[in-house]
Amino acid sequence: MAATTKSNKQLVLDGVLKENPIFRLALSMCPAVGISTSVMNGILLGIAVLFVQVFSSCTISIIRHYIHPRIRIPTYTLTIATWVTVIDLVLSAYFPVAYKAMGIFVKLIVAFAIITMRLEMFACKNTLEKSFWDGLGMGLGFMFGMVTLGFVRELLGSGTLLGHDILGFRPLLFFILPSAGFFVVGLMMGLFNWVDVVYSRRKEG
Amino acid sequence: MKEILKITFALTVSCLIAAAVMGLTFTVTAKAKKHNEHMNVQETMQGLLGYGKNNPVPEDMTFHSVYRYIIEEGENKYLGYMVPVAEGSEEGYVLVLLDLGGNFVKKLDLTISPEAAQEEPEREAALKAVLDPSAHFTYGDTIVIAKRGEKRVAYLLPGEFPGFKTFIQVMLALDPQFTILGLEIMEHEEDPGLGGEIVQEYFKNQFRDKKFDKVKALKVVKVPLPEEYKKYLEKKKWKEGMFTEEQIQEIRKKYEDKDIYALTGATISSRSVTNGVKNMVKKFAYRVGKLEDALAKQHIQAAF
Repeated sequence: MAATTKSNKQLVLDGVLKENPIFRLALSMCPAVGISTSVMNGILLGIAVLFVQVFSSCTISIIRHYIHPRIRIPTYTLTIATWVTVIDLVLSAYFPVAYKAMGIFVKLIVAFAIITMRLEMFACKNTLEKSFWDGLGMGLGFMFGMVTLGFVRELLGSGTLLGHDILGFRPLLFFILPSAGFFVVGLMMGLFNWVDVVYSRRKEG
Repeated sequence: MKEILKITFALTVSCLIAAAVMGLTFTVTAKAKKHNEHMNVQETMQGLLGYGKNNPVPEDMTFHSVYRYIIEEGENKYLGYMVPVAEGSEEGYVLVLLDLGGNFVKKLDLTISPEAAQEEPEREAALKAVLDPSAHFTYGDTIVIAKRGEKRVAYLLPGEFPGFKTFIQVMLALDPQFTILGLEIMEHEEDPGLGGEIVQEYFKNQFRDKKFDKVKALKVVKVPLPEEYKKYLEKKKWKEGMFTEEQIQEIRKKYEDKDIYALTGATISSRSVTNGVKNMVKKFAYRVGKLEDALAKQHIQAAF
């Protein structure tokens, strides 16, 4: 992929829908399955990923001409790890309340495939501006995916939404167990593909 | 060969830059972080005693810390308690050594102020100054004793025990008769939605008001949590006039002697917390008894 020709708006929209990290690119499935047990988790992890993605994309696109091609991946990992550590430290020091809820998620991000992949596919070939919008789109797309999964799993698993009791009972405890994550992700992927097929058919017809 | 040198150089430089950025952030944030942790512990302690934003800590309330160390001098092993003592208006510390059977061995005067004693390095320096140079000591824990005027109100003790996955860290408040005043989960890594529910009020508040005799034989029962009890436990969701004073007393009496109701799908976590709390209270009651005996016999005027 050479330098992108898409507009900034298109980049953000693609990140959320057409190239949604979870449902279309099928990346970062471990956190998607493991953490998406509630809407709140989805939002918090989403915010954390958004920040790391944007910062890392920007950093890499600034230094893209100086990265030795044979050590690209270590450099990406190093960049991500640095940003994760910085965000982790700053959050814990100045936003202790938010850190209490987000702490464990932030540290997880170092190992997220989606961020490394975006740096490799996009940030190292594009300008700072484009990389920023791409990072933003990917971050939002990830958050969207996590919140959707969390919505389904929290509602069906605990009968609550954002911690508020909605149903008054727990329909299926199974949904908050890790294994159910696979089912929900699979069904959601199917739904996304189906909508895509129907939509493009209608466009043709 | 030239290529590999280039790569090595590039990687080293990137690592150094990354390290510098992280180090800088750490230095900048270290102070605020420490302050937060300290505040967090303080707030939790006050919360357990029922104080908070709307109900500030009364002015005549004082907190005194006792630090427990395990001290090894050659073949002999002692428990060393750093006990705050009242000397006129100033508060100082003495080190009381007990042997493993709980018998008094010796008393050593320490030169350390209560503020300095909060820092571990300062405490270690003070201990080194009075102990035999060959002695080894390991930090055990810190017990905080809350006093209102001249009356002792509560003990606050931190604890750690294995949960379903890894250690669960808690803070427990006991009254002078070792009745549980409250339990707070400080850190845990139980499964979210299952064992993670131990932080919910309807679980952790079940420990409240359990008397020492009951705690000694506390068990977990796999019975659904009664609805009225659940409502009573979830204090944060209480609305004005939901319970009358009599109702509160009645429910409290009714469930005082009941065992702990297990969490749905998380019996192991429920059991770990229950057993952990049980052991903490039992051990603490034993230790504090021995310490008080020794203090009374030696006529040491402790500040608590």
